[in-house]
Amino acid sequence: MTPPVQTYQYNVRDSLSRNLLRGFWKMMTGFRKYYFIAVVALAISALMNTSSFLLVRHFVDDILPTPQVMELAPLIALAFVILAALQGTFSFVSGRFASKTAESLALRLRDAMYDHMQRLSFTYHDNMQTGELLSRSTSDIDAIRRFFSEQAIGVGRIILLFTINFVALLSLNVGLAFISVIVVPVVVLISLFFFGRISRLYERLQEQEAKLSTTLQENLSGVRVVKAFNRQDYERAKFEKQNSEQYRRGRKFLIMHSLFWPISDVVCFAQMIGGYFYAATLVINGEMTVGSYLAYVSLLTMIINPMRNLGRLIVDMSTGVVSYKRVMQVIGEEQESLVAGAHQPQADLRGDVSFEDVSFEYEENTPVLHNISFSVKAGQSVALMGSTGSGKTSLVSLLPRFYEYTSGKIALDGIELRDYPRGWLRKQIGIVEQEPFLFSRTIRENITYGVGRQVSDDEVIAAARAAAVHDVILSFPDGYNTLVGERGVTLSGGQKQRVALARTLLKNPRILLLDDATSSVDSETEDSIRQALLRLMKGRTSFVIAHRIQTVMHADLILVFDKGRIIQRGTHEELLAQPGVYRQIFELQSRIEEEVEREVSDVVGLPV
Amino acid sequence: MSSDFQYEEEDFSSSQVNTSILKRILGAVRPHWKWVLGFMVSIGVVSAMESFFTFLGKRIVDEGIIPRNTDALIHNLTIYGVVSIFFAMFVFAFIFLAGVLGQRVRYDLRKAVFDHLQTLSFSYFDKTPVGWIMSRVTSDTERMADLVTWGMLDVTWAVMNIVFALFFMATINWQLMLIVLVMIPILLRVAMWFKNKILVEYREVRKINSKITGTYNENITGVRVVKALRREEENRREFDNLAENMYRRAFRAAWLSALFLPVVQILSALAIGAILWNGGIQVNLGTMTIGGIQAFIAYVTFMMWPVQDLARVYSEMQQAVASAERFFSLMDSKPDIVNKPGATNPGTIRGDIEFDNVTFYYQPEKPVLTNFNLKVKRGETIALVGPTGGGKSTTVNLICRFYEPKEGRILIGGEDYTNYTLEAIQSRIGVVLQTPHLFSGSIRENLRYGRLGATDEEIEEAAKLAGAHDFIITLEKGYDEEVGEGGVLLSVGQKQLISLARAVLAKPEIFVMDEATSSVDTLTEALIQRGMEVLMKQSTSFIIAHRLSTIRRADRILVIEHGGISEMGSHAQLMQLRGHYYNLYTKQFRDELEAQFDPFAVPERSSLDQHLPGQVVAAGD
Repeated sequence: MTPPVQTYQYNVRDSLSRNLLRGFWKMMTGFRKYYFIAVVALAISALMNTSSFLLVRHFVDDILPTPQVMELAPLIALAFVILAALQGTFSFVSGRFASKTAESLALRLRDAMYDHMQRLSFTYHDNMQTGELLSRSTSDIDAIRRFFSEQAIGVGRIILLFTINFVALLSLNVGLAFISVIVVPVVVLISLFFFGRISRLYERLQEQEAKLSTTLQENLSGVRVVKAFNRQDYERAKFEKQNSEQYRRGRKFLIMHSLFWPISDVVCFAQMIGGYFYAATLVINGEMTVGSYLAYVSLLTMIINPMRNLGRLIVDMSTGVVSYKRVMQVIGEEQESLVAGAHQPQADLRGDVSFEDVSFEYEENTPVLHNISFSVKAGQSVALMGSTGSGKTSLVSLLPRFYEYTSGKIALDGIELRDYPRGWLRKQIGIVEQEPFLFSRTIRENITYGVGRQVSDDEVIAAARAAAVHDVILSFPDGYNTLVGERGVTLSGGQKQRVALARTLLKNPRILLLDDATSSVDSETEDSIRQALLRLMKGRTSFVIAHRIQTVMHADLILVFDKGRIIQRGTHEELLAQPGVYRQIFELQSRIEEEVEREVSDVVGLPV
Repeated sequence: MSSDFQYEEEDFSSSQVNTSILKRILGAVRPHWKWVLGFMVSIGVVSAMESFFTFLGKRIVDEGIIPRNTDALIHNLTIYGVVSIFFAMFVFAFIFLAGVLGQRVRYDLRKAVFDHLQTLSFSYFDKTPVGWIMSRVTSDTERMADLVTWGMLDVTWAVMNIVFALFFMATINWQLMLIVLVMIPILLRVAMWFKNKILVEYREVRKINSKITGTYNENITGVRVVKALRREEENRREFDNLAENMYRRAFRAAWLSALFLPVVQILSALAIGAILWNGGIQVNLGTMTIGGIQAFIAYVTFMMWPVQDLARVYSEMQQAVASAERFFSLMDSKPDIVNKPGATNPGTIRGDIEFDNVTFYYQPEKPVLTNFNLKVKRGETIALVGPTGGGKSTTVNLICRFYEPKEGRILIGGEDYTNYTLEAIQSRIGVVLQTPHLFSGSIRENLRYGRLGATDEEIEEAAKLAGAHDFIITLEKGYDEEVGEGGVLLSVGQKQLISLARAVLAKPEIFVMDEATSSVDTLTEALIQRGMEVLMKQSTSFIIAHRLSTIRRADRILVIEHGGISEMGSHAQLMQLRGHYYNLYTKQFRDELEAQFDPFAVPERSSLDQHLPGQVVAAGD
């Protein structure tokens, strides 16, 4: 069973609406007829059910007293079975179409949400917590699914049952019909009252459950501390506190349940006894038939009992509505276009980059870059030095248009950066971060991630070799097919970086952004990575963020940053020739070598 | 919790229900047998009354309505009213008793498993993921509690209901009752088949669902990489496949559920048809009443509920039994390290420490320490250096008796330490871990962990000694500031300072520290060093050292490699050897000087003076 095509033929953003009902209605585009079928089938099923009561009435009143009962009884029995079969079939049809709608809408939302999130801006993700987005895309979507598959259809069912059976009641006896529904509003109110409370108590129970889990988890992950301080008894007492609180809250929740059912039972019984009495009196007085009485008994049950669930459904529906709002709030965020751009380039980038008076701020009025100007020719390398927070990383984040600069002009090959489509730009730019993010996939999949074409094994191995990570990979149990992360191997910072390097090599970008790419690498591999990086930088415009003179000295242009401004610029030689921070760093490093010598000779000279 | 553990736990091995496990599950309610008796009796009464109501309905028709006897009508309705009051009371009783008992059993089971966990040894936690244990304590206890309360209740209700209904049907007309009797096993079989199918489907749905959650999670946390690598379309395609899979499974599960009740209903309708046919004829012959037919229809229509309950409990029972098997496997695991019979608490463990030919391994084929010998004088400070995996951590774990030697002995004050109780040793050891572990709660609570009886003054005193006091008082609530889950609200350096202060407060006789490798700012670093000094002065200390200042301060340095000591001596001795230590030290020295100098960090320049020789600092000015 593949999902219906119309699932995908709709843009969820079209159902953004201030009016909730309108939003729901639009969201159901393509499935309204299914849902309609579900409701109609439900009505038919209820109708068949009611008819079977009336059939019994007919049987008792019109056939039993007559001599034809011998011949007609089998027919009535057959009719009864047929009605039941129809009722069953339509109830199945209704359930099937309702769940088709609900599951398809859930699929539609899941897909939309997934895709939407990867198209929201960096700024949005910077300000949004992972857990928050995660709960909206999983549990909230599930609540919406239940809204359509259980709650909305459940409320519909109760209303249909009420209407159809009430009409049938009216056909029996109008006065009796009205007397029989006196308690309906009472039952609904009681049920609303209790389930409102029950759902609050349930939330409190869940909160406590989370606390209990935290206590447990901290105990387990801190087992060393617990044992080292011999605090087992203290931990027991701590857990006991949370555990007994959980018990108390569970108890309250259960007590509320144990009150609701008997109280609503008493109300329903009162209605039934009163109704039975009135109906029986009507029969005794000859105003109604025995068969009608029997039908009445069944009809009454079908009207009153479902009402007890109405409160629960309405309370649940309100959580569904909250979830819907939470999901639509994310969906309502503007995506950043990957394809829009005044300039649609036909060929690859050459790589000339120029910054003219560029300023940038993440939040209004707190600029992180002030009037930055410099330019590099294609294939040249720029090194950026400066303390944390001086604006180096912000500067390189502007090039793939992760963020939009506030003023000034950045040009790539002479064309304004803003005119390039984001998607194309990102294909042209390769990034190796300080702490690369790897996915829980195999190493091979991580290397080929985002390359966007079929890659042969030879190519993958060549890239891994060039990034000096091939031998490491072969030492894992499944080689290139080893999973990264919890289920597989945990890679060290340096290994992750080299995998990311291999990934970038395969991508073959025109512009390279290296954010402190050698800092977390141990000394054995440092040289091989440096070699790999140099190979990678060859022929590409490169931006290198680094702390060490060794790494930056060969750059065509060195920019020294402080508080969002360039305070020094030039080549290694030029910068050494002038007083300033760069020279200080250089001198420090040569002094360090002297210092090492001195320390060693000091100690070694000591008498043992 | 890893999503993968979730799938694994869904698998259950036994489709056959193991009776000894069932007995053990029942053991959980044994202490509360009165409650069990209470809800069983209540539900029994409730189901008898339910059947009786239907029977009363028949009497109202046959005795009151048809003979037009108002007195009989009122009489029967009065009974109806009185019984319904009792009915409501018993409904309250069974929900209350079973529900509250369920919560109580959960509480008991969680308590039992938590208490047991506190006794288990390190080796257990090494090989058992935290997520796995968490599921045992949370979801498995819940399933077991549900089985012994609601499960037992539902089965009792269903069986009693069927029995009472059959009894009343027999009193009305036993031949027709036989038709129903034949139908029940058929209904049960069909219902069980369905419930099992549905359960399997939903388990699949849950599996895929946890995969979907994992995929979402990764796409949110890795969104910057996704965007940088321009992989949106491919990701979407991959996700579509997964989500469609989910759709297929969920839809299948949903329509199977939607099919279940209609099928059972149609089966019951066949029986009702037979009753109408046969009963109608009997009414004509005078052997059956109209009220009787009505009652039969009601009994049979209602019969589907107990049947579906039985089927549901049966299929859930298999899951609960699987839960119980895992739960009891945890409860049955024995701690490796226990007090020897006759182990004593000497009152102090100050004294020389000796490793006598110690061999240790986690897996027999991979020895970590082999014939390791070491003598440490009381009060000495030992620095352990060497490559990862060389055996440094194992050495200190053995001292703490988190593990015991596989061969050889460890002597404290000349006595084999296994002759002492675990409490005697572990309550006198102060441990500071590489990644400090804090518990959610206030700073004060975390410090007090070191000595539960400590007064606020003593806590502050310890914090001052460890150099944590100064930063603590700058916090808004000072010592009452919350540290967050696992200490997330504090920086790494702050956490280290607190865990040092915690150890200071414990006044340990042996101090064990695994120095952090991650860099902290120079000021914090200086404070940490000061805190360590305090501890090193008062106890025999073992430091897995990563910083030169620590190494230099040690009385003796051990280079541990390949499961043994490759070099040992003072700093000067080892430097003169020009071996491993020499290489290690000079590299480290270079790195540290470099790392500590940041030409841009002007305000912190002054704190550098304490660490770098004067001329280097001068270069920066």
